[in-house]
Amino acid sequence: MTAVRSYYEDFLRTFSNVLFAVSLLLVWGLMTLVGVIVQQGKDPSDYFSMYAPPLARMILRLNVDNIYHTPYYVGMIGLILVSLTVCTFKRVIPARLPVLRPVKIDKIPLNGQIEVPGDEGAVRARVEQFFRKRGWQVRSREFDGTEWTFADKHNWARRGVLVAHIGFAIIAAGTTVYWAKGFSGDSAVLVGQTIDVPHRQATLRLDKFNFKIQPIMTKSGMVYQPIDYVSNVTVVGKNGIPKNETIRVNHPIDIGGTLFYQSSYGYAIKFLVTHDGTRSAALSDKTYFTGDAITLPGSGRQIQVMQFVPTVDRQTGQPSADPRINDPAVGLAVAEGGQTAGAALVPMKTWIDVGDGWRVTPQSYVMVSGLQYRYDPGVALVGIGAFVLLAGLVISFYFLPARLFVRVESAPQGCTVGLAAMTVKGYDIFETQFNELLAELRKTMVPPEPSSSLSLAEAT
Amino acid sequence: MQHNMPLDEVLMIIALGSYVVSALALLAFFFTRDEWLKHLGIPLAIAGVVAQIAQLLARWELTHIWPLLNLYGSLSMFSVVSVGIFIYFAFRYKLWFAGGFVIALAAMFLAYGVTWNEGTMPAVPSLQSYWAKIHVPLVVSSYGAFMVAFVMSAMYLLKYYYERALGTATAPVDYAMAGPSAAASSTSEMRVRLDAPNIAAAAAGGNATAQWFNTMPSLAQLDILIYRVVAVGLPLLTLGIITGAMWAHEAWGAYWQWDPKETAALFSWIVYAIYMHLHTRNAWRGVRSAWISAAGFLTIMFCYFGVNLWISGLHSYKV
Ligand code: HEM
Repeated sequence: MTAVRSYYEDFLRTFSNVLFAVSLLLVWGLMTLVGVIVQQGKDPSDYFSMYAPPLARMILRLNVDNIYHTPYYVGMIGLILVSLTVCTFKRVIPARLPVLRPVKIDKIPLNGQIEVPGDEGAVRARVEQFFRKRGWQVRSREFDGTEWTFADKHNWARRGVLVAHIGFAIIAAGTTVYWAKGFSGDSAVLVGQTIDVPHRQATLRLDKFNFKIQPIMTKSGMVYQPIDYVSNVTVVGKNGIPKNETIRVNHPIDIGGTLFYQSSYGYAIKFLVTHDGTRSAALSDKTYFTGDAITLPGSGRQIQVMQFVPTVDRQTGQPSADPRINDPAVGLAVAEGGQTAGAALVPMKTWIDVGDGWRVTPQSYVMVSGLQYRYDPGVALVGIGAFVLLAGLVISFYFLPARLFVRVESAPQGCTVGLAAMTVKGYDIFETQFNELLAELRKTMVPPEPSSSLSLAEAT
Repeated sequence: MQHNMPLDEVLMIIALGSYVVSALALLAFFFTRDEWLKHLGIPLAIAGVVAQIAQLLARWELTHIWPLLNLYGSLSMFSVVSVGIFIYFAFRYKLWFAGGFVIALAAMFLAYGVTWNEGTMPAVPSLQSYWAKIHVPLVVSSYGAFMVAFVMSAMYLLKYYYERALGTATAPVDYAMAGPSAAASSTSEMRVRLDAPNIAAAAAGGNATAQWFNTMPSLAQLDILIYRVVAVGLPLLTLGIITGAMWAHEAWGAYWQWDPKETAALFSWIVYAIYMHLHTRNAWRGVRSAWISAAGFLTIMFCYFGVNLWISGLHSYKV
């Protein structure tokens, strides 16, 4: 029992230590940086071409290629949340909302003293009036027969840290909701194709896809600047009524809470595949995307669809940079037993002989719209959390909670007013203000010495 | 002189010229403390800012394209915001002695930006959004604030290590580190801060360099200044990241994609969050937090240029 308690206390002590928290933040930051430097989500072979084999193996084994979703990355954020919670309750709340208590005024670096004529009660009343007029919240308490006055400014802002920390926790909660309940993915939809909207009783048909590219001559050469990508779709929802909608970049559509975004575009190709002059229906009826392969039966040979080239340069016969469709061609590679045997750029409607009586003709192409979909029920929470966090930052940084300790004591000639100040951010930040306040207090409380010019004026 | 030079280019030349002369004047002021140099540098810095704002507006008006979508426009914004924030802080806290460094850096970034001027280009689809008008200025402004914090940190470190070099016999009494238990005079007079006692002693003894360091704000004041500028930058960066996420939510379907640019910004954000947390601790104020704030700016530079130039991602604006 005592062992458990002592573990618990060790846990609280460690997790409420700000330096421990900072160390966690640092590790989080470094892991984040690793993910910036090591490209994410590549093919394993890419890492071997980018890094030395031992490093590449380590990257793959530790899942550094997808670091942001690894248990240790997510676990680190979990630890930060635990630390933040413990710290908030164990340290921030008690330290930031301190009780009123007497202090040794001259032990506080920001301190000062003024001699004021008058009796204690009257002086105290005037001092309190002085601070109240300047927006300080004034309270008096008696400790062991000594009367203390406390003046607070921006006391409410002591909760700024709490607000910032709660904001961070709300963001974490929002992302957890997405992990638990949300989903996302992408689909490449051919013009004319209908797809089911995932997890929704709805379908989406791509009626048309258009893109606009503008060639611009710049100082460093011709640039083909994309201007617009547009998918015209027909959505049929639960009610069975078709609805025409347009998806563009920056303008997603909402189907029952699932958002559809324009994310990319491409081409799919149909080939006429013949063997000794006879059309192979099985191979010719299919639509191929880049990366697909046509497996020729009985030959051990594969035709890989490498790329769709919208414009072939007439002079060089090579793919040109122009992404608009002028003279389209398809890049094909022949593979035999896993080895590439040859490659060619085949213009549309022209055939290529791939051996053993097989001929392949790129017959037609169809545009493909790359749509991304996402259902994220946590997004509102994340948004709220972000603004709560921001509010916490602004409160913490721009409203400085300060407390003044005032003690009025009888002295041989009148009273001594002792004044000290503490803020949540140390003393330096308040020094100028404190000195101004002290000077003003002195001016208000102590009647000015009659100056010589004044007495002259009185004399005349 | 070409009489058909576009207005925005003329304004850019005026801005750059003003900054260069202003930076030189203020750098000379840094070393000589001749007041007239300051009085030359300040109006020129302001003139540079005005010319640059006019330049951005003129470019927008001439091309009808929001000018901040490429490195040219964004560097221009970065330099104008850095100088603008600096001017505000300089008037408020008498920081003109550091102006030469801020303005020289701003002018360098601006000159580098001009090399990225590709002429007018319409925006790619993902950048055709009102979010571009919100997100980009916020992020770039935060970079500007962090640059000013960087220069203040460099000043802090310079003074701190000079103090150390003058003699290790008396370790600098960093008032910020002393905390409530520090002995303090109980007189009602303003306390004389001796947070660089070696410099003060050497200055009193006639050492010119020390006298010059002595006219800089105290270490404690510099520490607070750095804090105040970071306190401008961090909320701006936070808001910049938030608006970026809102834009991503609208354009790409996910508010956070772990794209290198946003992840690098998150890294910088964490570094400044660390700065803010450590700055709440007495023992970490001063030289250690000055180092963190200086390092923070390097992470900002990595996020700004490193990611754009070395690492491809969604922010390289392909779609
Ligand atoms: C590991 C998790 C965290 C822990 C344990 C933690 C702990 C603390 C503590 C103890 C303080 C107050 C220090 C004092 O007044 O003496 C503080 C201040 C603060 N925290 Fe955190 N924190 C964490 C994460 C965060 C995060 C992620 C943010 C978001 C930016 C944040 C924002 C703030 C702010 C704005 C302050 C006030 C700083 C100032 O007033 O200068 N904290 N934190």
